[in-house]
Amino acid sequence: MKSLKNHLSVIFPLFVLLFSLQFAFMSDEMVKEFEKKLTNDYTIVIVSPKKIDEAVLMSRVRDIKSIEEISSKKIIDKLKGNISAKNLSLLKVSLPKFYSIKLKKFPSLNEIEKIKNRLLKTKMVSRVETFAKTHTKVYRVFLLLKSVSFLFLIFIFFVSFLLMLKQMRIWILEHKERMEIMSYFGAPFWMKSAVLYRLAIVDSFISALLVSVIYVILPNLGEVKKFMNDLGVALPKFNLLIDGGFLLGVSLLFSLFIVSIVIRKMKTV
Amino acid sequence: MEYVIQAVDLTLGYGNDEPVIVDANFKINQNDFVFITGKSGSGKSTILKSMYGELEPKKGDLSVCGVQIKGISTSKLNLLRRYLGIVFQDYKLINEWTIEKNVMLPLMIGGFSKGVCLKQAQKLLKHVKLLHKADKFPYELSGGEQQRAAMARALAHNPVMILADEPTGNLDDYSSEVIWDLLKNAKEHLGTTIVVVTHHIPPTLGTSYKHFFLESGVVYEVS
Repeated sequence: MKSLKNHLSVIFPLFVLLFSLQFAFMSDEMVKEFEKKLTNDYTIVIVSPKKIDEAVLMSRVRDIKSIEEISSKKIIDKLKGNISAKNLSLLKVSLPKFYSIKLKKFPSLNEIEKIKNRLLKTKMVSRVETFAKTHTKVYRVFLLLKSVSFLFLIFIFFVSFLLMLKQMRIWILEHKERMEIMSYFGAPFWMKSAVLYRLAIVDSFISALLVSVIYVILPNLGEVKKFMNDLGVALPKFNLLIDGGFLLGVSLLFSLFIVSIVIRKMKTV
Repeated sequence: MEYVIQAVDLTLGYGNDEPVIVDANFKINQNDFVFITGKSGSGKSTILKSMYGELEPKKGDLSVCGVQIKGISTSKLNLLRRYLGIVFQDYKLINEWTIEKNVMLPLMIGGFSKGVCLKQAQKLLKHVKLLHKADKFPYELSGGEQQRAAMARALAHNPVMILADEPTGNLDDYSSEVIWDLLKNAKEHLGTTIVVVTHHIPPTLGTSYKHFFLESGVVYEVS
């Protein structure tokens, strides 16, 4: 019972640490994914009095990924019944050209302003509509989420570190006598601390396994799937070998580091 | 090696307090049986602690098995302790281990195979009449039995010297007699040097011994 309690008090902070670490990676991936989606959805509309040379415009404004002409056929069709054929043909000639521009990355408000100015400076463009405000608001919410999850990670890391350190101190108190007795008979450092290292390694494996299982199961849960669909974002897949291996590595590194500093701090007899 | 232990102007103490032992000079030869006596607080345990390197000299020199204790490195101290057998008044057995494993400890540290450790531990447990309790834990044994187990552990690796700190302090007459017999036999049959800190020298030890008496920080050799 005592041994189980000992294990749990190391597994718990390690579990929290690994869970939040993976969560931070996942939310970062999701933000990146969402950024891509926003970039694909976002367009700038420009108006030009005459047909523009797309290649020239793209060479002058390097942020442009693609330019597509918006057909004026719909507008002309709508007016067909209201005005005469002569006026209609006149309108066809005088109607400016509309273009939809897609960018290479989702810009900030400042960047949009810069792009707008650059477009206007080309003289080929008479008007620019950026529709930036709505998109930027959504993107900012996501950036905020990203920062919050990062701060959360730092906080959890700190708390886990303290919890682990406290647990290791309890271990030291529990194992102090055994380690001292071994010292009296000349036991080397590795032999005295082998039990603690073994405990740390076993608990690291258990914690990494638990977190991996959760992240494998999580994206397949119906409720989670529905929620993510509603958000329009896909949960990144957890690769048991790569992501699980990474978590195990972090877990081992963290626990072994803490065991080492606590043992080094212990007074030798 | 001329002396197992040699102290030259040895001064011992704790922190910035007054020294407990001042300018002590003594020698202990191989195969000596030495008693260190004195009133409580006279520095008996302090002098023994310095012999197994728990306390470094404040002044002067102390050499144990040819190794200077002053400024000794951890690795050297570990090595030195593998030639010593230490017996404590409070036994200092590892509670989570069986008696057998406790006796095996110095042999495990010495790097012997499990088979050798087990065979030697059983031989010694038989010698101290505890073989039937080999798989018991220390807390399941009486004080006398625990001290016999601790003696078996101290003898397990055939040490050059046994350092015993009031080994019979908490024991009844029977257990005390067993411990004295074990120490005497180690000296006579194995050639082990024995240093015992005690309040009372047993009147029926049956072997020659040296006696150091401590008073007011001074070590006197009683002839």
